[in-house]
Amino acid sequence: MKRFAETSSDLVRSNLAWRGRTLLLLLPSLLIVVGLFGGGLILGLMQAAGYFPGSGAESFTLEHFKNVFIHPDFFSSLLLTFYVSATSTLLAVVFSLISALLVMSMLRRFNWLHLVMQIPLVVPHLLIATAILFLLSPTGFLSRLAHALQLIESPAGFPVLIHDPWLLGVILVYVWKEIPFLTLMLLSVLLNLDTRLLQVGKTLKANRWQRFRFIIFPSIFPSLSAGTLIVFAYSFGAFEVPYLLGQTYPMTLPVWAYRQYSDIDLMSRPEGIAAGLVIALVILLFVFIAYALVKKSASGRLPI
Amino acid sequence: MRILLIHLWVICLLGGAAHAQSGWTDIEKQAKGQTVNWFMWGGFPAANAYVNGYVAPEMKDRYDIEVRQIPVQDIAEVVSKLLIEKQAGIERGEVDLMWINGENFRTCKTYNLLYGPFAQKLPNRKYIDPNDSAVRFDFGEPVGGLESPWGSAQFVMIYDSLRTPQPPSSIDAFLTWIREHQNRFTYPAPPDFTGSVFIRHLFYHVAGVRQNWQQDVDQAAFERAESRLYELLRGLKPFLWRQGRTYPESPQKLMQMFADGQVDFAMSYHPADASRMMRDGLLPPGTRSFLFEIGTIANTHFVAIPFNARAKAAAMLVANFLLSPEAQLRKADIEVWGDLPVVDFDSLSASWRKRFTGLNRGKATLSAERLKQNQLPEPASDILIQLEKGWEREVLRK
Repeated sequence: MKRFAETSSDLVRSNLAWRGRTLLLLLPSLLIVVGLFGGGLILGLMQAAGYFPGSGAESFTLEHFKNVFIHPDFFSSLLLTFYVSATSTLLAVVFSLISALLVMSMLRRFNWLHLVMQIPLVVPHLLIATAILFLLSPTGFLSRLAHALQLIESPAGFPVLIHDPWLLGVILVYVWKEIPFLTLMLLSVLLNLDTRLLQVGKTLKANRWQRFRFIIFPSIFPSLSAGTLIVFAYSFGAFEVPYLLGQTYPMTLPVWAYRQYSDIDLMSRPEGIAAGLVIALVILLFVFIAYALVKKSASGRLPI
Repeated sequence: MRILLIHLWVICLLGGAAHAQSGWTDIEKQAKGQTVNWFMWGGFPAANAYVNGYVAPEMKDRYDIEVRQIPVQDIAEVVSKLLIEKQAGIERGEVDLMWINGENFRTCKTYNLLYGPFAQKLPNRKYIDPNDSAVRFDFGEPVGGLESPWGSAQFVMIYDSLRTPQPPSSIDAFLTWIREHQNRFTYPAPPDFTGSVFIRHLFYHVAGVRQNWQQDVDQAAFERAESRLYELLRGLKPFLWRQGRTYPESPQKLMQMFADGQVDFAMSYHPADASRMMRDGLLPPGTRSFLFEIGTIANTHFVAIPFNARAKAAAMLVANFLLSPEAQLRKADIEVWGDLPVVDFDSLSASWRKRFTGLNRGKATLSAERLKQNQLPEPASDILIQLEKGWEREVLRK
């Protein structure tokens, strides 16, 4: 009895030591994340709360948040941003699922595919946006090609895909960029999947759909949902693509926040920061919901 | 008695002048070995090259002063930094010199963020016409020596002489042209700086008397003019590119659309922009620029020294050097920057004047004299803000 107590306290001690060492090893990156990100967030929060020393505005107030919420543009911008992120995320998820499954079955024969899939990951969004601009604008490459092939009468006859009311150009950039990201994420799970499960499925006469539904999907679900969340959060908070390819009005929430922040009147900055914090809050909310869903699915009850 | 008084007066004057002179030598002595952190907008390669490739080495050679350019995205960031430093009681800040004008200057002035009226003390001030309202006021705000001018910009319209041999030069004719050529014109969306100044030209057009919009603005008259302006712009929308449902977000984008042949006009607040872009092969060879008949809006850009600058003496020397004819000539050279000189040509010797007028300014750039003779002042910055907000409310969303 006594010996057992000793070993268990030893265990606790060594466990603590292990934890301590891990924490120490994590410290450099933690410091950066907490210091730079958290510090900036706190400074932003202070400014959004109206703490702007020297300008006569030094008391804390929720006025700026209220101004953001009652602004006539706020909800249309929020809806638009949600529409863009949801549409592009959904499209990216569907296509990446298909492409991951296709690539998995072909990878043995074409293993260079894996490398090719990684190329778009290193290309910045800004570059893709510019490329899309040159490809799809009314004087762009595709429009000229279509004109040269006499598919359209003049370059102006090309459908409006950039600066359009539906933000198709913006969605296209996100889809283009996120498919490889999600595909690679799914592939890493799929390639580690125990193939015997699929063989068992086959011997039990499960058809393709059933094998996907009951074997593949549950095993990729955690990484799929995490990936979906990352993609959604990114496109919800991204500024440069809608700024370059979107319409002047209505604009997405990040563009709107930037416009408030960069207003010529220094005193409208708190509103811009408040709008930025609202974006962060919305993203956090989604993370929370998604986390709850994934946890639920991990306990065996898929939410679908 | 009278002669005695005149004598006395002359002696006082001489004494004063000598005193001022010795003051400046003191400043030169103090400045030796100091480092000037010059905070400025870093988004303009030509300006960066001028500062780092010319001003900095010259200051090093002449006065042993180190000039360090600190590029910033927006000088308003520096203004809010100064505001916080003032509150925190920081006596020795990092900013020694800043490139500034307009609303940011007004904010600085309102919160006392600037070092006293240093601009009057600069010896090269003699090259500036003291009566020129373009250097006495900055967007309607009296400058009072708190900032020193170093260049000026003026709005120009850009066209392709092969496509549009006779550009409509009066605003009325221009508006008619837009209505007759559907889908061939647009402007950058305010609050973009260039789009916003285009709107101000139309404001002057409908508001008539333009001298009234710098100070003591009659609010009722302004509101009448404002609503007429929005009415005009709303009426123009169906004839604009994409029926005014969307606008390019920057003048660069408009230039690209102009180069692509999507629209027939571009515009710029930098008179030499078109020439420089044409030289780089970005614009068609027929590119030229023109001014509206009523003139176009010009503004002066300045340098200012913050209240807590560490190297005030050296910063003054830099500001002074920027006003010298050689620095101004270099800046006006299209190969360097092409910025409009701020010096008064009448104050220059004949040989300097000749060098300025003989400068190759590029085919698409109008002569400095022609530009200078057709300058309109910027309205007060209040008006600018109200017009930008009004445009969003009354034109963009309708």
